[in-house]
Amino acid sequence: MMDFLAWLEQSGFATWARESNSLFAYPSILFLHTVGMGLVAGISALIDLRILGCADEIPLTGMQRLLPYMWAGFWLNTATGIVLFILDATTKAINPVFYTKMGFIAMAVVLCVIQGRGFRDPLVDKRPVDVNGKIIAFASIMCWMAAITAGRLLAYLGPGVISNIRH
Amino acid sequence: MRLFNLATLTHLHLLLNHLPTVGFSLGLGLFFVALAAKSDDLKRTSLIIFFLIGLLTIPTYMSGKAAQQAITGQDGVSEVLIEAHQDAALWAMVFMEITGFTAWLGLWQFRRISRMARWNSPIVLILSILTLAVMTRTANIGGEIRHAEIRETTATEGTVNGGAGWLRTASIASFVNTTSWAWPATETLHFMGLCLLLGVVLAVNLRVLGVMKNVSFAALHKLLPWAILGFGINVITGLLFFVSVPEQYTQNRALQWKILLILLAAANILYFTMFEEAWAVQSGDDAPFKAKIIAASTILLWVGVIYLGRMMPFIGGSF
Repeated sequence: MMDFLAWLEQSGFATWARESNSLFAYPSILFLHTVGMGLVAGISALIDLRILGCADEIPLTGMQRLLPYMWAGFWLNTATGIVLFILDATTKAINPVFYTKMGFIAMAVVLCVIQGRGFRDPLVDKRPVDVNGKIIAFASIMCWMAAITAGRLLAYLGPGVISNIRH
Repeated sequence: MRLFNLATLTHLHLLLNHLPTVGFSLGLGLFFVALAAKSDDLKRTSLIIFFLIGLLTIPTYMSGKAAQQAITGQDGVSEVLIEAHQDAALWAMVFMEITGFTAWLGLWQFRRISRMARWNSPIVLILSILTLAVMTRTANIGGEIRHAEIRETTATEGTVNGGAGWLRTASIASFVNTTSWAWPATETLHFMGLCLLLGVVLAVNLRVLGVMKNVSFAALHKLLPWAILGFGINVITGLLFFVSVPEQYTQNRALQWKILLILLAAANILYFTMFEEAWAVQSGDDAPFKAKIIAASTILLWVGVIYLGRMMPFIGGSF
C-alpha cells in the first residue's frame, strides 16, 4: 500500500501540482477546495439553522433547491481533496488527523442524506420539525465545524508534516 | 499588480483618516438633525454613513501600519507616539465597528418593520459619541507624530498610554505569536466565518437570480444578520492576523485587492438590506434585472475575495 502511495506521490502530475510555481497548480487546487468548503458547509449550515428555527419564514421546500449547490461543493471538494491527498499521500495516510477529518465528513454526509430524504415529503412545511430533526441539524453543524477544524490542523499536526508547503 | 506601495499607502492613510474623523463628525451632525427633526429618512442616511465609514475604517487602520513603516526612524518622528497612536486607533476601530454594526442592524430592522426600531437610535447615538471621542483622541496623537509644535503628550517618559490594558497592539501580537494554538485557531474561525458568509450570500443572491423562486425575498432577508455575523468573525480574525504580523501584509498585493473587493461586496449588502425593488420580490416573482446584476456581482465579488485571500501566500508572499 505504501508503495502505491509513494508512486502516486512521485507521479508526474503530483510532482507538477506540488512543485510548479504556476498559480494553476497547488494554489488553484487550494482555492477550489476553499470554495467547495464554503458551498457544502455554508449551505448545509444554513439549512441546519433554518431547521433549528432561524428565519422560519423560509419554506423548507424552498431551501431544498439549494441542495444541488451543496452537493456540487461536496463533489468539488472530493475531487480537489483527492488531488491534495495524492500530493502528500504517504504523510497524510499515516496522519490520524486526516482520518478524523474524513470521519466527521462521513458523518456530516450521512446527516445531509437523512435530511434530504425528509425534504422529499411535500408536506414538510405543514408540520413542525420534530426533536430528532433538530438533533440531526445541530449534529450536522458540529460535524462540519469539526471537519473544518481537523482540515486546518492537518497543516500543523501529525507525523512528518511538510512545513515547506505553504498553507 | 500592486495597488499601493509603502509611499502611496502612507498617502492613502493621510487621505482615509479623514473619513472616521471629519466624515464621521458630519454623519453624527446629520444624526442630531435627524433626531431633532424626527425624520426617519435622515436617520437612515446617517446610519448608512456610519456603516460605510465603519467599513472604510478597516483600510484606514491597515494603511496606518504602512505609514509607520515608511516614517519610522525619520527626524522628528516620535516612535513612542506612533505606538500610542496605533493603540488608540485599535480602540477607536473597535468602537467604530460596533457602531457600524448597530447602524446596519437599525437599517435591517427598518426594512422589516417599516420604521426605526425604538432601541436603535439611542444606542447608535451613545455609541457614535463614544466612537467620535476615541477617534478624536487617536487623530490628535496621530497628528503629534509629525508635528512637534502641537505635542501635548509628553513622550519623554518612554510610554504614552494609547489604549488601556489588554487591548494593546503589542500584547495582542505577542499573544498570537507566542501561543502555539492561536494562529491555527484563528485560521479555523476565519474559515467558519467564510462558510457562514458565503452560505447566506449564495442563498439570498441565488434567489434573486431565480433559484428557489417559491421563497419571497423578505423571508431570506431574515438571514442577513447571519452573513454579517460571518463577516464580523472574519473582520476580527483577519485583523488578528494583520496585527500579529503586519510586515508581511502591508504590501501584499493580493490583500490590497482583497480589501477593495470586500468594500464593494459589503456595499452590495446594503442594497439587499434596504432597497425596495429587492424587498418587494414575492414568492413566485422574478426579480428585476438590476437586482439580478447586483446579485451576480455580489457572488462574484465574494468568490474573488476568497480567491485573493487564498492567493496571499502565493502572489503576495505572506503565510
